[in-house]
Amino acid sequence: MPEILIQYKTEIWQSIAETFAMVGVSILAAILVGLPVGTLLFLCRKGQVFENPYIFSIVNLLVNVIRSFPFLLLVVFLIPFTRLVIGTAIGTAAATVPLSIIAIAHYSRLVEQSLLDVPKGVMEAAVSMGASVREIIFKFLYVEARSGLVLGLTTSIISFISYSTIMGVVGGGGIGDFAIRYGYQQFKTDLMMYMILIMVILVQLIQFTGTTVSRMIDKR
Amino acid sequence: MIKLHNVSKSFSQFQAVCSVSLSIHKGEIHGIIGASGAGKSTLLRLMNLLESPDSGKVEINGQTLTSLPGKDLRQARKSIGMIFQHFNLVANKTVFENVMVSLKLANYPKNKRKGRVMECLQFVGLESFKDKYPAQLSGGQKQRVAIARALANSPQVLLCDEPTSSLDPNTTAEILSVLKDINRLGVTIVIVSHEMDVIKSICNRVTVMADGEVYDTVSIEPTGIGSAKNTPANFVEQLTKIGGTGHA
Repeated sequence: MPEILIQYKTEIWQSIAETFAMVGVSILAAILVGLPVGTLLFLCRKGQVFENPYIFSIVNLLVNVIRSFPFLLLVVFLIPFTRLVIGTAIGTAAATVPLSIIAIAHYSRLVEQSLLDVPKGVMEAAVSMGASVREIIFKFLYVEARSGLVLGLTTSIISFISYSTIMGVVGGGGIGDFAIRYGYQQFKTDLMMYMILIMVILVQLIQFTGTTVSRMIDKR
Repeated sequence: MIKLHNVSKSFSQFQAVCSVSLSIHKGEIHGIIGASGAGKSTLLRLMNLLESPDSGKVEINGQTLTSLPGKDLRQARKSIGMIFQHFNLVANKTVFENVMVSLKLANYPKNKRKGRVMECLQFVGLESFKDKYPAQLSGGQKQRVAIARALANSPQVLLCDEPTSSLDPNTTAEILSVLKDINRLGVTIVIVSHEMDVIKSICNRVTVMADGEVYDTVSIEPTGIGSAKNTPANFVEQLTKIGGTGHA
C-alpha cells in the first residue's frame, strides 16, 4: 500500500462513504421517481394507452429543461429549494437534492426509451386479454423491457458518480472533491491519480455488473 | 354471437372500414378475406374494440361492447380470445408463464391455475416445452402457445388475425387443425386471412371485403385441411406441372 494512501486513510474512506451516500440517494430517486415518470412519458405518447398530448408535453419539457442545465448551475439554482427541503444548502445531505433531481430527469428519459423498444403487438395482446393499465405496466411492459431498464440504470449510475464529483462546491464532499482539494490543489498528483484509479475501478465494476445482469435476464 | 351494426373506422383521412354490418353465428368458423388494405384486419380488431369504431355498435354474446365502461369492457375481453400474425408472446416469459398470465388477469382460482395451464399446453401439444422461452420455439410452436394463452380462460369467441400468414404450409395445416379442434369445443372462430386455401379449408361462412366494405358473405362447405404440401417431392411436382402448362 503506497505511503500516501495510508497517510490519508481516514479522509479517503470518508470521501468514499460520501460518494456512496450521494450516489445511493440518487439511485433511489431514479428508481422511485424516475421510473414512474419515464413510464408516464411513454404511456402518454401518441397511440399509447394513456395518450395525452398535454401531460406528455409538460413532462417532456420539464425533463428537457432540467437536463439542459449545466449541472454546476443547476446546483446553484436549486440552493433555495435545497434549503427549503433539507434546512441547509451545505453538506452531503444537501448535495443529494440537486443530484436526485438530475437523477430523476436522466433515468426517466432512459426508461422512456427502453419502453419504446417493447413491441407494440405485446401491448395489444395485453389489451386483448383484458389487462388494466397497471397490469399492462407490471405484467408486460416491465417484463419485456427489463434488460433495457437495467442497462439504462447502469448508464445513469455512472453519470451520477460523475455528477457527484463536483458536489464539493456545496460542501458535499466525495471522492472527486477529495481528489481536487488534496490531490490537485495541494500538488499531490500521485494522490489525485490514486483517486482517479478508484473511480475507474468503481465504474468498471458497475458497468460489468449491469451488463451481466441485463444479459442474464434477457431471454428475447 | 357477434353483431356489427354500421361500424365505421378511419385513420387520419383513410376510411378503413365503412359502415359495415355483419352477423357471425354461434359455433361457426367465419372467414374474412380480401386484398391488402380492404379493412379485414381492422374489422376484426373492431370486434374486441382493439380499435374503437368512429360510429356504429359492436355486440358480442348479447353484450354491447361499444357502450360498456372501461372496467366492464376489460371483463368482456377476458372471454374473447385473440391470436395474431406475429404471435405477440412476452419474450421474457416462459411458455408456461405466457399462458399463466392470462389466467392471472382473469383472476382464475389460484389453486387451479397450474393444472389449467398444463391442460391448455397439452391441448396444443406443447406440454414438454413449458420451460422454454419463445425465442427457442419455431413459428408454429409460438402460434400454438398463443392459442393456448387465448384458450386458457375458455373464451366463447376466438379472433384470429392472419394466424398462419407467417408460417410455412406444413405448420399452417397444423395450426388450422388446432383451430378446428377448438371449434369442436363450441368456440366461435373468426379468421382473417388473405390466403384463399386457409379460408376454404375450414370456414363455414366467408365474408369478402373490398375497400372497407362487405362485398359479399357466402356459405361454403369447408374443403378440409390439406396434408403436408412442402415435401421435396411435392415441390418438384408443382414446379414441373406449372412448367408443363405455363408456356405457349
